[in-house]
Amino acid sequence: MTAYVTSIWRCRHFWFSLVKMDLRTRYRRSMLGIGWSLLNPIAMTTVLCTVYCNLFGMNLKELGPQILGGLAFWGFVSASALQGAQSLYQGEAYIRQYPAPMAIYPLRVVLGAGFHLLIALSVVIALTWALRGFDNLAMLPTVVPVLLLLLVFGWSLATLTGLANVYFPDTFHILEVGLQILFYATPIIIPEDLLRQRGLGWMADYNPLAALLETVRRPLISGEAPPISSYLVACITVLLMFSVATFTLHRLQRRVIFHM
Amino acid sequence: MSRVFLDNVSLTFHLRQCGRVPFKEFVVRQMFRKSRNPITEVRALRNIQLEAHEGDRVGVIGHNGAGKSTLLKLLAGIYPPTSGTRIVEGQISSLFELTLGFEMEANGWENIAFRSYLQGATPKTVRSKIESIAEFSELGEFLDMPVRYYSSGMLLRLAFSISTSIEPEVLLVDEVLSAGDLAFQDKARARMYGMMEKAKVIVMVSHDLKSISNLCNHVIWLDHGTIRMVGRPEEVIPQYAQHMHKAAKLAA
Repeated sequence: MTAYVTSIWRCRHFWFSLVKMDLRTRYRRSMLGIGWSLLNPIAMTTVLCTVYCNLFGMNLKELGPQILGGLAFWGFVSASALQGAQSLYQGEAYIRQYPAPMAIYPLRVVLGAGFHLLIALSVVIALTWALRGFDNLAMLPTVVPVLLLLLVFGWSLATLTGLANVYFPDTFHILEVGLQILFYATPIIIPEDLLRQRGLGWMADYNPLAALLETVRRPLISGEAPPISSYLVACITVLLMFSVATFTLHRLQRRVIFHM
Repeated sequence: MSRVFLDNVSLTFHLRQCGRVPFKEFVVRQMFRKSRNPITEVRALRNIQLEAHEGDRVGVIGHNGAGKSTLLKLLAGIYPPTSGTRIVEGQISSLFELTLGFEMEANGWENIAFRSYLQGATPKTVRSKIESIAEFSELGEFLDMPVRYYSSGMLLRLAFSISTSIEPEVLLVDEVLSAGDLAFQDKARARMYGMMEKAKVIVMVSHDLKSISNLCNHVIWLDHGTIRMVGRPEEVIPQYAQHMHKAAKLAA
């Protein structure tokens, strides 16, 4: 394990420069590029807020940051899963030439997605400040460890989907369907209170992704601490995912090349 | 100390007739236990014995599909042996599938950095040699362009220039003695020889029997994944040439 981590560290210049290049390509070397890449969540938030506020008379000040925060989180999760699925194929040419540790290819994808998450979350913070004032300042530092937790979660997810995609060519298809279901099963665009009113609270209670989302979103937008149980569920989920991912990677990483 | 050691190494590929199995088929098959996509075994290498110490230059010859490139990839640590022991001491540098592994959206300069990092360079060492790599490739201002627009010859030049800019301990070479157009080939050959002189152990695959006999002190003749003959170049190469000649005559 230590030797493996050392080998990842030893080729840090390689994967780090790839991450930097991915980001440069994504944002096309401009500020507009960054705004452009956030167009989707911002547009979706606008549409949803218009619908909710006009149809159900909900409070924009609460809803806006909540939906944007949810979409930012979901963007990271789905990018980790979907781009992660392609990560090993993306690095295939390198894999065929150099025996670098397999873990760096999902890492490349997740660091890119993580950077994007940071940008999206800073927009969420700015929106919260604009709509609700600065009462979240005290809670902001609690988000830092959670972001690290998310990074580990994203890497584990990307590693698992990446390996699955090497073995099963229809992984991407299954993932798209699965992610769509999870998207609606997690209180991202549907406020949690609404779920509880309709007796669907269990969807949030038994969904580890909802707990993970709570630990990032709640302190950011309301300045309130999430319940301890959310932290607990989030930690256990990430730990489990990480163990499964490292175990699977350990088992398969030398044989992956035979299936590509 | 650099050393290459293979003891009784075998490598078997398990291939499927119709590519990878989709997950849905995998589930269905688990339920009904009927497969129309059987696994074929390809025994790419069988009981390979190889030992090379510092100063050794090993040439690997054999017909197409004999397992030469597979052997190199196994030495490089890309394929794990199915059975047997593989020990390689010293930093490995490999020259094969050269034109693969470029980031198509990045320009030439960036790709020089990426590939150098993968070969174990640091930003500091890259800075010190990036100019000489660029100069050797003769690509000039094309280096500012995304690699996507390069011709295959330009890609090969760039790849060759990067890969030969290192001082390897264990060098694995697969048929790259002729890179690029004629003018570049002479230059490339000189650079290649220069690098080979510095390398401690070399294992090279080539169909060019002349270069093998010039460069190597030890030759392995692979035939269908097994070692047919081992020895000094002047012993093995004539036998191999004779065999190939006979085979060609039979085919005619």
